[in-house]
Amino acid sequence: MAQHATHDTVPTGEIPKPNTAWIWRTFWIISAITALEFVIAYLMPASTFRNSIFIILTIFKAFFIVAEFMHLKHETKGLIWSILIPMALLIWLLVALITEGSYIGEAVQNLIS
Amino acid sequence: MSTISTTQAISDSALDKPRTGTWDGGNEPFKASYGKLMMWFFLLSDAFTFAAFLTTYGLIRHRHGVYEGTPEAFKFSTNYWPIPEKVFDAFPGLHGTHLPLGFVALMTMILIFSSVTMVLAVEAGHRFDKKDVQKWLLWTILFGATFLSCQAWEWTHFITGTEAGTVMNDGTVFHGANLAMNQYGPVLFADLFFFITGFHGTHVFSGVCLLVWAFIATTNGTFEKRGHYEMVEKIGLYWHFVDLVWVFVFTFFYLV
Repeated sequence: MAQHATHDTVPTGEIPKPNTAWIWRTFWIISAITALEFVIAYLMPASTFRNSIFIILTIFKAFFIVAEFMHLKHETKGLIWSILIPMALLIWLLVALITEGSYIGEAVQNLIS
Repeated sequence: MSTISTTQAISDSALDKPRTGTWDGGNEPFKASYGKLMMWFFLLSDAFTFAAFLTTYGLIRHRHGVYEGTPEAFKFSTNYWPIPEKVFDAFPGLHGTHLPLGFVALMTMILIFSSVTMVLAVEAGHRFDKKDVQKWLLWTILFGATFLSCQAWEWTHFITGTEAGTVMNDGTVFHGANLAMNQYGPVLFADLFFFITGFHGTHVFSGVCLLVWAFIATTNGTFEKRGHYEMVEKIGLYWHFVDLVWVFVFTFFYLV
């Protein structure tokens, strides 16, 4: 909030000019990444490699939304880490469950055949 | 009498002093206000709920069979997980045209755009520009409501199904989807679609309600009297989070 806190003054009647360039820049970045995802979805055959590209691009988009739109980049270090460290648990959850899913899938298939 | 009023005056002035110590509430943890901090922690817990949904999707998808043939020859079957772009290829008003993910792309852009108008509302709040706050809140409400309508259309299409339908294992033809049966693939595919997009849609709906309330409060001058537009900022955090979740739902449900 450090950056915005300086704008927070008691209203005096005069309204300052809007400062929106950074908002539109972030918007164009997110739109460009989304467009790129569609180009890849149409032109590239499905594969694990394609899926990893999608996931990396999604994380880029998430970074811009959280850092700029939700302003986390401009908060204190303590707040940033208290949000990011719990998120690391989710990566473990993701890897663990997908591995388990493949294992269960194989076990079921072997049972049938 | 006079002694009592003197002590009263002293304690009053003691209360007026700004709180400076750590233990009497003088410090703001992380230099963020109470409300904003609690909103962040709520969103963190909500992120875990959505992550549970999406990892469940991964788990269930991986334990089902994979379609082996070419994408062109793909047919719906309950034996393997469907290719998402073969399921979501319809667009309102363009019946029979195969437009893989076209409508989802539109919905994604609507939600990203609503996020932009939301930041613009927060920015206007910092400048105490009441008219601009009202304008951008209205745009955000409009985009949010449009997104919900799009989702209603998509659900209707998903539930109604295609004209051809799919021959099920018992030999009957089934159109569309419900919680127990669907023409697109394994039962759980439709269940996860309903739960994940439904849970997200509920969040968007709550967001729109909060925004309508914030618009009314802005119009009544509530935030102006309060001296800050922090409530718009907090609702903004929630709204961006909903957009963020959609970005992940979009990747894991529609693209991968």
